[in-house]
Amino acid sequence: MKQIAVFGYNRLSFEAISRLDKEFYRIVVIDHDPVKAALARENGFETANIDFRSDDDLRLAGVGGHIDTLFCFFDTDSENVFLTLSARALDPNLNIVAIVDSPESAEKLIAAGANKIIDPYEICGRKIHDMLKRPDITEIFDHTVFGRHDLHLAEVAIPEHSFLENIHASQLELGSQYNLLLIGIVNKKVSDRLHFVGEEIDRRLNVGDILVILGPSREIRAFKQDVENEYCHVGPK
Amino acid sequence: MFAKLVVYCAYYLKAAHWYKCSKAFFFDLLENRQSRRKKYFDATMILLLVSSVIFLIYDIEHTDSKMGGYFELAILMVFIVEYLLRGWIYSDTYKIVIEEYEKALYLNLPFKLSGIYKKLVAKDLEYVTSVFAVIDVLAILPSYRPLDILRIFIIFRLFKLFRYSDSAKLFADALASKRFELTTLLIFTCFLVFIASVSIYMFEYQNNAGVNTLFDAFYWTVVTLATVGFGDITPQTTGGRWVTIFLILASLGVLSFFTSILIAAFSEKMLSVRESRTYAELAHYDNFIIICGFGRVGQEIARHLHEEQKKFVIIDKSPFKVQAAKSRGYLAIENDASNNEVLLNAGICHGATAILCITGDDVVNVYITLTSRHLNKELRIISRANRHDNVNKLYQAGANQVIRPFEIAGMLAAEFVGQPVAFEAISGILQSQSDIVMESVLVSEKSPLEDQNIGQLDLEQRKLTLLGVISANPIHLKHKNKYPVNQQHFYFNPARQFILRRGDILVLLGRKYGIDHFRDQVEQRRLFARKSI
Repeated sequence: MKQIAVFGYNRLSFEAISRLDKEFYRIVVIDHDPVKAALARENGFETANIDFRSDDDLRLAGVGGHIDTLFCFFDTDSENVFLTLSARALDPNLNIVAIVDSPESAEKLIAAGANKIIDPYEICGRKIHDMLKRPDITEIFDHTVFGRHDLHLAEVAIPEHSFLENIHASQLELGSQYNLLLIGIVNKKVSDRLHFVGEEIDRRLNVGDILVILGPSREIRAFKQDVENEYCHVGPK
Repeated sequence: MFAKLVVYCAYYLKAAHWYKCSKAFFFDLLENRQSRRKKYFDATMILLLVSSVIFLIYDIEHTDSKMGGYFELAILMVFIVEYLLRGWIYSDTYKIVIEEYEKALYLNLPFKLSGIYKKLVAKDLEYVTSVFAVIDVLAILPSYRPLDILRIFIIFRLFKLFRYSDSAKLFADALASKRFELTTLLIFTCFLVFIASVSIYMFEYQNNAGVNTLFDAFYWTVVTLATVGFGDITPQTTGGRWVTIFLILASLGVLSFFTSILIAAFSEKMLSVRESRTYAELAHYDNFIIICGFGRVGQEIARHLHEEQKKFVIIDKSPFKVQAAKSRGYLAIENDASNNEVLLNAGICHGATAILCITGDDVVNVYITLTSRHLNKELRIISRANRHDNVNKLYQAGANQVIRPFEIAGMLAAEFVGQPVAFEAISGILQSQSDIVMESVLVSEKSPLEDQNIGQLDLEQRKLTLLGVISANPIHLKHKNKYPVNQQHFYFNPARQFILRRGDILVLLGRKYGIDHFRDQVEQRRLFARKSI
């Protein structure tokens, strides 16, 4: 089970937490403002009231220990930069996601060691622009992949001894076997870059490759199970 | 009998199509500020005016030239016709007649023409005495030869320029807005001039060679009051000098007061002048977007639209934000977007295709949404909700789409934690950052795609991935994997047997030029098919 620490309780962190599957993640909300911490507790989240400025307090909360992912969701950029910096010093492998209020703070957060910067205003602006530019597709995507409908993007890593090993991407036939669409493949050995299907020649799949697929969650689950099952063989027809 | 004929004529005109059309034509030509015809007409008239004055100057030196006379006559005809036409479109006579007639009919009173005459005369007088009509007459009169003395008034023709030039109109408007101050000042000035003239006349008459009539005294007063002081008449008596001292002091006050009124009027007007320029530019566009609020979200959208060379206008209350928008070369209006007039001027009912209500304040967003929907039923409205509770209020107010910045950001954060690769992939596609894009291809009428099944499309050969089909056609409902969105369905990963129908939209993933090529081919074959029919 992945451990996520969410620093700063506000609208944004609320949205993010609500989206995360409680089965797979253990989430703890941390805010130095007792009022906000109390509010989070009222809403049913596990909370801790510590001061993020103190390294000892951070260690107490599990940073540098069992925490895998850190959300820096404070309202002010300076607090987020400070937290990112402290957390990165405590744990070089921590996955840090930070939000940014003013665009010039993005560089500072990256320099402080954040893995991913999220700029709500930029995203929102781009989204609205997208709505104007191609209303059909945006709406479909909002309602299906990102929305209430059961259509999701997922990553599937190819384990050893899987039936996927050494077959070609074109032989997968995910569409007919699983009702899934293969969007792309990442060859982890080479780089983190995603190669879209159709973009290049038919690839032979290797252990460690990551498949990015789109489809209903039931199908995704079934596919994942089959991939991990050594004895399963869903070959081409 | 005659009254009946008049009423009959009025009803005939009311029904006559040609009458309405011709009236609309001349209204467009003379008065409608939105029309292109008026612009051409105005330019022609300005040209005529200027050349008529040039001919006047030419005439002074060459009194017997005939060409000037003919030209003058032609211009005169144009002016008279214009004057009459303006009088014609100023009011609708037949409407007055019909109104009176129906009133009489309703009240069971005898219908009398005299009442109508009164109203018509009143209406005509209203036109004749309006400032512009007077200027028009002044432009025509001097051409009447027996009144040769009036030829100097031909210069008045230039006043007609006010009619044809918007900036001249603004100048007049600026002065008109300070009517009260100017009138007060004028009264005071008249009073001052009167006292000074009479006093100087009393003191200087017979003591001064320059002051022989009251007019001389008046002339001296005006020259002194204006602080011009030619020095051709100077006071000779002690009394006259005292009058001069007082006049000079008073005139300094009058002049500074006058200057301050002018400056105030212009600085006030300058704001609306700038705005009206923006409005004038917007009037040229027939497809633009109104962005209300130039915060971070607004800036982001504006940047994208600007890159794509799309037309848009920004409305914001804050002068700093408007200044920031202008410094980036965007069209911007500093005003309250919830004001009907501001939105109307910005073209919400003509030309605007969408409005974005994206200020940081939900109350303001709801209000602008409501105002926009009230003004234009067809417009696309996208609004921003900062709090979840307000989403429904925005929909109620008439928004087509509501967007929540914090929800999207939270969602992306959650998505990133679960599957960073997929997240980057999909956000890359959605933001068109990679070569791979997601685009739609419409199955239009006579398209070769129509009635074909998916298997025949050969998409794999084209290196395209079909994500799904968007369709409102009920014929597809038997297929699996459908997701209802609004009135249509999204058919995810459709089977090879899926038959495409007119109006369906294919959602394709692939390289930009791959999709473009596919679309081009489809279009070409469609055109080809049409020709062969």
